[in-house]
Amino acid sequence: MLRVAPPDGSDRRGRLPGLAVTVVAAVVAAVVGVALVGQASRGSAVVDRQSATSTVRNASLDNAFYRCIDIQAHSLVRPGQRVTLSTSNLADVITLIKGTGSWVTVADPARSADVVLTLRNGQTGPGTCSGTVVVATSKTPDGRSVVRIGTGAEVPGQGPPPAPPL
Amino acid sequence: MSTTAAAFTGLVVLGLAGALPVVVGVGLRWVTLPLAPLAGAVLASLAATAYVALGLSFMTWFVALAVLGAVAAGAWWLWGPTLGLGRTDGKLGVSEGDLEETVRHPRDHRVALAGAVGALIVGVTCVASLRGIRTPTVGFDARALWVMRPGWFLQSHQQLLVDLKVRGLVLTQSAYPPLVSAASAIAWKVTGVHTARLGVVVTAALNGCALAVAAFAVADVGRRAAIGLSGRRAAIGLSGRRAAIGLSGRRAAHAASAPTPWTPLVAGVVVAALLVLVAAGVTEPFLTNGYADPIWSLAAVGAVAWGLQSPRERSAQSIAVVLVLVAGGAKDEGFVTAVAIIALIAVRSLAGVVADHGWRAPLSRLAAPVGLAGLELVIIGWWPELMQVIGARGASSTFTIQSDLTSRTTAVVHGMSPYLHVLVLAVPVAIAGGVVLSGVRRRTDTGNDLWAWAALACGLVAVAGALITGQGAIGPWILSTVHRITEFPTLAAWWIVGTWGVVAATALVEGNHRVESTSGEATPVGDAPAVAQAKVSA
Repeated sequence: MLRVAPPDGSDRRGRLPGLAVTVVAAVVAAVVGVALVGQASRGSAVVDRQSATSTVRNASLDNAFYRCIDIQAHSLVRPGQRVTLSTSNLADVITLIKGTGSWVTVADPARSADVVLTLRNGQTGPGTCSGTVVVATSKTPDGRSVVRIGTGAEVPGQGPPPAPPL
Repeated sequence: MSTTAAAFTGLVVLGLAGALPVVVGVGLRWVTLPLAPLAGAVLASLAATAYVALGLSFMTWFVALAVLGAVAAGAWWLWGPTLGLGRTDGKLGVSEGDLEETVRHPRDHRVALAGAVGALIVGVTCVASLRGIRTPTVGFDARALWVMRPGWFLQSHQQLLVDLKVRGLVLTQSAYPPLVSAASAIAWKVTGVHTARLGVVVTAALNGCALAVAAFAVADVGRRAAIGLSGRRAAIGLSGRRAAIGLSGRRAAHAASAPTPWTPLVAGVVVAALLVLVAAGVTEPFLTNGYADPIWSLAAVGAVAWGLQSPRERSAQSIAVVLVLVAGGAKDEGFVTAVAIIALIAVRSLAGVVADHGWRAPLSRLAAPVGLAGLELVIIGWWPELMQVIGARGASSTFTIQSDLTSRTTAVVHGMSPYLHVLVLAVPVAIAGGVVLSGVRRRTDTGNDLWAWAALACGLVAVAGALITGQGAIGPWILSTVHRITEFPTLAAWWIVGTWGVVAATALVEGNHRVESTSGEATPVGDAPAVAQAKVSA
C-alpha cells in the first residue's frame, strides 16, 4: 500500500508535525556544528603543540641519545654474537632494549651469551651518551673477563633525555 | 634513502599487497585508496603470525599471502555469486551486485563532483592533521615495543621465538598483536632503512589512512541522503533486490525525478573534515609518535561507521571487514573491541536477513554472516592463541578477581570521566535525533545509532573491565594509559554526533512530496509500483 507524505513535511507517518521536525533538525544541526567547529579548533591547537620548540628539542635529544646507545653497542657486538642484557638495573635494561632490542641476537639461556651488555651512568668527559656509556663484558678463550667501553658516538650533557609521553 | 621516501615506498608496497582484495570487495571508490594499505597491513600481520607459527621467513609469508589474497579476490570476481560467471541463473552480464551499486551510486555529476572534492578535502585534512610527524618524536612504548619488534620479524625463526619468550627482555608487552610492528617490518625490509623513525612514520601514515576511511563513512551518509532526496536511489533497499533485477540497469540508473540537492552532500563532507580535525586532537601525540592506540581506535570507529551505520551492502561490509581485522590485530584492547564489533555486525546482518526473508530465510543467507564473523574471529584470534601456545612473555592472562573491586571501579570511573565529556553532548543529540529525526535517518539508509552506542559501550566496558580486574596498581595504570585507551569511545561518540549532524542537515532540506511504501521508505514517484515491496534496510 502506498501513501503520499503530507506536503507539510510531517514525519514518522504524520505523527510529528513538519515544523517540529524542522525546528529540532535546526537545533541539532546548529549544536553539532558549533561543537564540531569548537572541538576541531581545539584539536588543531593540540596538533600544533607537537611542533612547540620544547617538544622538538626533547624529541631530538631523545633520538640522539638512543642513536648514541645504538652506535656504541654496535661497536661492541660483532654480527652473530649472542648477547644478554644485564638485569641488575631495570631502567638500564629498558634503555638497552629501546636502543638495541631490534637487532641484537638475544642469548637463551643468558649464560650462553658471548657478550653481556650493561650501562654505566654518571660518566663525564667526551665519548658518553649524555653521561652514559655502553659496556660490554665478554670472556676470552682462556676464561678471562674483558670489559670494553662503546665508542663511535657521543651526546653532550648529563642525565637521560626527558621522558616522552607515556 | 630518506625516511620520507622509505615510508612512501613501504606504504606503496602495503597498498599493492592489499589492493586487489579491496577493489573486488569495495569497488573503485575514493575510500579504496586509503583502505588498500590497511589491508596490506592486515596481510603483514598475518604474515608475522604465520612466521611465528610455521617458520620459513616473514617476507615469504607476506608475498605468499599477498598472492593468495589476489588470486582469491580474482576468483571471487570471476566466479563468485555476485558477478556474471557465478550467477545462479547462468546469465552473464550485469550482476545483482553491480545493479545494486548502479542504483545506489548512479552517475550524477553533483554526486561525482562532491565525491571528488570531498575526498580531496578529507585527504588534505588528514595529511594536515599528521603535521606533528615533522617533530621526530618516538614515544616510549613505540621505541620499547611497537617499532622495536620489526627487527625481530626480520631475524631467524629460532631467534624470533627466543625474542618473544626469553624472560631477560623484561617487557611483557611483547605478546601484543603484531600489526603495527609487522607493517613497519615490511617498510624496513623493502627499503633497507632500519630505524625507529621509519616505523613511526609508517604507523602515522596508516593512522591517517584509518582516519580517512572512518571520515569517508560520514561523507557517505550525506551522499546517500542526497541521492535519496533526489529520487535517484531508485527504489530499492537491500531487501528490494529482486524488484531491482526486474528493472533494466538503464532505467534504474536514470530514474531521476529531481536534481540532487547540495546540502546533504556538503554537510557530509564538512562534517567528515571536521571529524578528522577532532580525531587528531583526541589522538595526539600518539597519532604521530608510533603508538598502536590510534590505529585500533580509528579502525574500530570506522568499522562501526561502515559495518553498523551504513547499509548492509557488499561494499560497506567489505570495508568493515578490513577495519575490524586492523583493530583486532593492532592491540589487546583493539582485539576485545573488534570481537564485540564483529558480533554486533553479525547480529545486525542476521536481523536484516530475517527482516527481509522472515524466519524461513534460506540457510545460506543465515549462515553467511555467521561464517564471516567466525572467519574474522579466527584471523584475529590466531596471534593471541599462538602466544599462549609458545609461552610468550606476558601472554598469560592477568584476569583476576580483585578484593578491592569497588575502589578500583571508582578509580576507573573518575579516571575516565574527564576524557568522555563528549557523551554529555552525544547523548542528548542522539535522544533528540532518535525521537524526531529517525524517519529522516532511515531514508538516508543509515543504521540505527543504537548499534553504534552498543559498540561504544562494549569498547568502554572492555577497557574498564581490564583495568578493574587487572593486577597492576590502579592509580599509575590509569594515569599512564587512560587518555589512550579512551580514544575509541570518545571518537565513536563524536562520529555519532557527526552522523546526526548530517541527518539534521538533510531534514532541513528534505522535500515535502514523496511517496512512501508501507514501511515508511521514501521512494520516487516514478518507480513506486516497482518498489512497493521495498523495506527499510538496517
